[in-house]
Amino acid sequence: MQRLLVFLTAISLIPLLCNSFSPENPTDRRLLVLLDDFSLKSTHSIFFQSLKSRGFDLDFKLADDPKLSLQRYGQYLYDGLILFSPTTESFGGSLNLGAVLDFVDSGHDLILAADASPSDLIRNVATEFGVDFDEDSSAVVIDHTNYAVSETEGDHTLIASDNFIQSDVILGKTKIEAPVLFKGVAHSLNAANSLVLNVLSASPSAYSSNPIFKSSRPPSLTGSAISLVSVVQARNNARILISGSLDLFSNRLFSSVVQKAGSSHKYKKSGNKQYVTELSKWVFHERGHLKAVNIRHHKIGETDEPAVYRIKDDLDFSVEIYEWSGKSWEPYVANDIQVQFYMMSPYVLKTLITDQKGLYYTSFKVPDIYGVFQFKVEYQKLGYTTLSLSKQIPVRPFKHNEYERFITTAFPYYGASFTTMAGFFIFSFIFLYNKSQ
Amino acid sequence: MAARNLSGFLVLVLVIAICEAAFVFHPITDAHRSAALDLFTPLDGSFSSLEEAYEALRSFEILGIDKKPDIRSTTCHSVLETLGSSSSSPKDLYHALRVNGILKCEVKEELFEGIVLSLKAIVSSASSLLEFYYSIGSLALIKDQSSNANVLLSDAAGVFRSIKALSQSDGRWRYGSNNPESSTSAAGLAFKALAGVIALASSEIDQAMLGTLKNDISKLFDSVEKYDDGAFYFDEKVVEAHEHQGPLSTTASVVRGITALADVTSGNIKLPGDKILGLAKFFLGIGVPGDTKDFFNQIDSLASLENNRVSVPLILSLPATVLSLSKKDQLKVKVNTVLGSNSPPLTVKLVRASRSGSKDGSIIESQDLKFDKESDSHFLDLPKTVDVGKFVFVFEVVLHDSELEKVYATGGQTQVPVFITGFIKVENAEIAVLDSDLGSVESLKKLDFAGESIVLLSANHLQKLRLSFQLTTPLGLAFKPHQLVEKLVRLQVFLKLRHETKVDHIFVVGNSGKKFEILLDFLGLVEKFYYLSGSYDIELTVGDTVMENSFLKAIGKIELDLPEAPEKAPRPPLQPVDPYSRYGPKAEISHIFRAPEKRPPKELSLAFLGLTFVPLVGFLIGLLCLGVNFKNFPSSAVPATFAILFHLGIAAVLLLYVLFWLKLDLFTTLKVLGFLGAFLLFVGHRILSHLASSSAKLKSA
Amino acid sequence: MARSTGKDAQALFHSLRSAYAATPTNLKIIDLYVVFAVSTAFIQVAYMAFVGSFPFNSFLSGVLSCIGTAVLAVCLRIQVNKENKEFKLKLESIYRHKVLSGISADAERDLPAERAFADFVLCNLVLHLVIINFLG
Repeated sequence: MQRLLVFLTAISLIPLLCNSFSPENPTDRRLLVLLDDFSLKSTHSIFFQSLKSRGFDLDFKLADDPKLSLQRYGQYLYDGLILFSPTTESFGGSLNLGAVLDFVDSGHDLILAADASPSDLIRNVATEFGVDFDEDSSAVVIDHTNYAVSETEGDHTLIASDNFIQSDVILGKTKIEAPVLFKGVAHSLNAANSLVLNVLSASPSAYSSNPIFKSSRPPSLTGSAISLVSVVQARNNARILISGSLDLFSNRLFSSVVQKAGSSHKYKKSGNKQYVTELSKWVFHERGHLKAVNIRHHKIGETDEPAVYRIKDDLDFSVEIYEWSGKSWEPYVANDIQVQFYMMSPYVLKTLITDQKGLYYTSFKVPDIYGVFQFKVEYQKLGYTTLSLSKQIPVRPFKHNEYERFITTAFPYYGASFTTMAGFFIFSFIFLYNKSQ
Repeated sequence: MAARNLSGFLVLVLVIAICEAAFVFHPITDAHRSAALDLFTPLDGSFSSLEEAYEALRSFEILGIDKKPDIRSTTCHSVLETLGSSSSSPKDLYHALRVNGILKCEVKEELFEGIVLSLKAIVSSASSLLEFYYSIGSLALIKDQSSNANVLLSDAAGVFRSIKALSQSDGRWRYGSNNPESSTSAAGLAFKALAGVIALASSEIDQAMLGTLKNDISKLFDSVEKYDDGAFYFDEKVVEAHEHQGPLSTTASVVRGITALADVTSGNIKLPGDKILGLAKFFLGIGVPGDTKDFFNQIDSLASLENNRVSVPLILSLPATVLSLSKKDQLKVKVNTVLGSNSPPLTVKLVRASRSGSKDGSIIESQDLKFDKESDSHFLDLPKTVDVGKFVFVFEVVLHDSELEKVYATGGQTQVPVFITGFIKVENAEIAVLDSDLGSVESLKKLDFAGESIVLLSANHLQKLRLSFQLTTPLGLAFKPHQLVEKLVRLQVFLKLRHETKVDHIFVVGNSGKKFEILLDFLGLVEKFYYLSGSYDIELTVGDTVMENSFLKAIGKIELDLPEAPEKAPRPPLQPVDPYSRYGPKAEISHIFRAPEKRPPKELSLAFLGLTFVPLVGFLIGLLCLGVNFKNFPSSAVPATFAILFHLGIAAVLLLYVLFWLKLDLFTTLKVLGFLGAFLLFVGHRILSHLASSSAKLKSA
Repeated sequence: MARSTGKDAQALFHSLRSAYAATPTNLKIIDLYVVFAVSTAFIQVAYMAFVGSFPFNSFLSGVLSCIGTAVLAVCLRIQVNKENKEFKLKLESIYRHKVLSGISADAERDLPAERAFADFVLCNLVLHLVIINFLG
């Protein structure tokens, strides 16, 4: 009976494997959504519906469900994790901080939303990614000059922000016209962390403190140091979105009218839906995910890849780079991809020319240093996955018969040798047959 | 599962509740109407089931939406199919009949008759609550839809008793006699079924039985739960419920049941008005749900409450709780039913308005609001004595016709938090650099916050910086700062000094008696500033929740001259690198090839080449000068040929060498050299021995 | 003093010149050959002094061919020179040995010329092979 069960489970995993994340199809498919309570399914239904319409399978569970688990028999059951449980003290089942970090370390993506009074667990998860929430657990972001004008909310905790990161790949090509409504906690980014990016920052007049009780100390987080929404792209290209507000994703803020304090323009709809949708597209690798294939190099005039180059050879290098568009691999077009010919330090660094269809190529002369070189393409661009390719190729010096055959400088020596030979011939002839008197 | 669901739901709503202890409820608005159109979208022209079709159609009907998707033909077809099929369960018939009630598809009378017969059979033999519910419900619907069908139940009392038999002592119901678990939503279903039985009874139901029913209802209401903001709701206590029911669907089920019962018993069900109002507030407090079932439950329950015979809840709402003194906003209050329709004639009284958190007396007392027919709202102009701040306004609704107090539930006194905002003027602002010991002013500058001017100051670590200003409220009264701070909600006055390396420091501006003032003593702050000298930008932030002109202004620059940092001084914190400059293409490197060695000019080499031929020519000329002869050349043929061959052989070897130099490799050369050498040896031996013998002959001769 | 040395030098020079005129033509041919070889070598060294020793192998090859062939020619001259008694004395013992074994002594005396020449040719050919190989 047990064996049958194991067998059936194993069989049932096969379709899961076929339908999961793979390097050929990098968009996540199965997402685990952890909620504090199921009413979030209803209050955030537009966001979840937009995910479902893009082809994701959402699995909603309570954060302290004792049957929670991310992996079974060593295989991950999900490709992405959405944590909408800001007040959960500990996860149920086999999930804990370590399990979440392992999940991300294995290349999977994460969306984390905190809200007023985030629990220590959520804070710790965020700190692992270089994001520090305000230590004061009752603090929220307040901004007296950039709040959203509302007839019903007067305490300036609902902020209308349009300090977006300038990146087409993260936020999409279409400009987000309306400001984004935010209501939640502030976080700051660890300055030493080079992988974390601020995608929605607060205005210089924002500060983070308790809205009801006054304190005599100045707030610890103020101004542009406050980040409202940040993303992290890890070195293994896993992407993490950390938001200080769960309401950012809610139906109520999606369909709200926005008017920024101090301006008279009223936007009919906030930019939340577009902002969150575009960000989720980026987080789940529907944009900005690059792959490089077909690194080829050959001598100019030939087509085969040689095993060894000779110094001062002219060679052609080409690589094809594609970007995943959510459904297929599209050619990636950029003008700043560079290739290095590298041995301990780059000897040649050239920018690759593109034919606008994903093929990047260049040609250069092999330096006159011999050794084992590498063709290195190290490409890092804001919002794109890092490309790190290398291909080794040795470079040999000239063979003895690849030098100049007849050196002009040595002509006198050649001449001398041959005249000596000629002289010897004449001499031998003369000497034998000369009769001396 | 349900308990966790409950706790979660509680937490969510509680969070909202705590933030504003008195929550303002709003009746159904146009947001609901547009959300309904977005939510209930038929796939390919029809809904996936009749239940969903009914939910959509009923929601559109309640909300009064005319522009709805046209699904009549496909849905009617499906309705007729279900009604005509003999294998349809009571549940399917129920849903089909409900849809028919709205769409009014043309159903033949014979069809109804057939269904009625089968339903009556099921009613008499039913054992589970759901069977009773669906069959009685279908019969009740047929009663409204068909003119001829005889739907009256002969043994209504028997059916009543069988349904009642499933009830529990705490007011809840079981789903069936086999099922020991009781559920609140089952109670709601039971009430609706019993209402149906009463309506379909051919003869009067015994009053005693109705009395026990009323007992059950009051017992059920003992288990109602309450939020702080006055909302009442029901939730399942059982962990493993029959179906997953949240508080919304449970409460909706109960409300439908009770209102149905109240309708058929001509309002004999008595429930306290505030409980009904509480239930209405629960539904309104959800906002706009995103799930179709939740949306339908909310709207349907509110529709039931709108016209129920127990008491109709009236909702007091404020379209705006933030009033601006500068815009001279009026206080507006609306009183409507839950679906937003008009209320009966009434007056809204402002019992009192007092500053929240303050122990002072009330600002306004006992004012009546005036009614404006056009906008259907009550309004009041704020008296001139009201200043900015956060207040709690207490309202009371008084119906003009006191008879109607039995019909409508007004909820007594309602507390609403209101923010009154206005301009706060900043006056007498000045900034000065003081010498520490003497306290004398080195430089004093007046600040004008309206303009864009920036003051330039300089100070060293022995001096102090003083900034002072006064704030006045719109009332214009000169309040002492600490009084002003109490009036305002959460005054924020910060001074920020930012160094050119983006390291910044924030100070809270305190108050001293007459004005807001801050004194920065640089001597004590040297270490805090990380000993960074240079130009600092000074920014002042003044803001408050009720201040309409909160500002963040750069007021000037100060050149600070601080002493050198000692060895162990703390380093300033790391500033983040601008992300746009973090990535970017690197400078191109192209390898500089080693320059080939300088070769002498070609002409020189060629000249010397020519020069090497000169000795050869000289040799030849010298030979001629010496007068060489060939007398020793052998005359006879054989030796002559050998001689010739010998020299040709030498020439051949030399030519081989030239070829070797030009083209051949050593191995080929040596091979050929072997042959040539052997040949040469032979020939050479012959000729040389001949020459030797001939010269010996000559000598001896 | 200078005048006496000058006169002595002139007298020396004249006597050398007259003595040289008496040498047989064969030897003069060899001498001419040696002068030719050495002058070629000289030209190459002068060229190297101008341009440096860049293709050093070619330089060595060129110079060595000249010097080598000159040395071989000098050896030939020594062996061919009839007045070279030293050489003859060395060979005397060999000839006496050959006489004892019954070969004509007179005939032996003139063999060395041709044999020397054969050696000369052989050595030169080997020299030139090496030179061509090293010339590059």
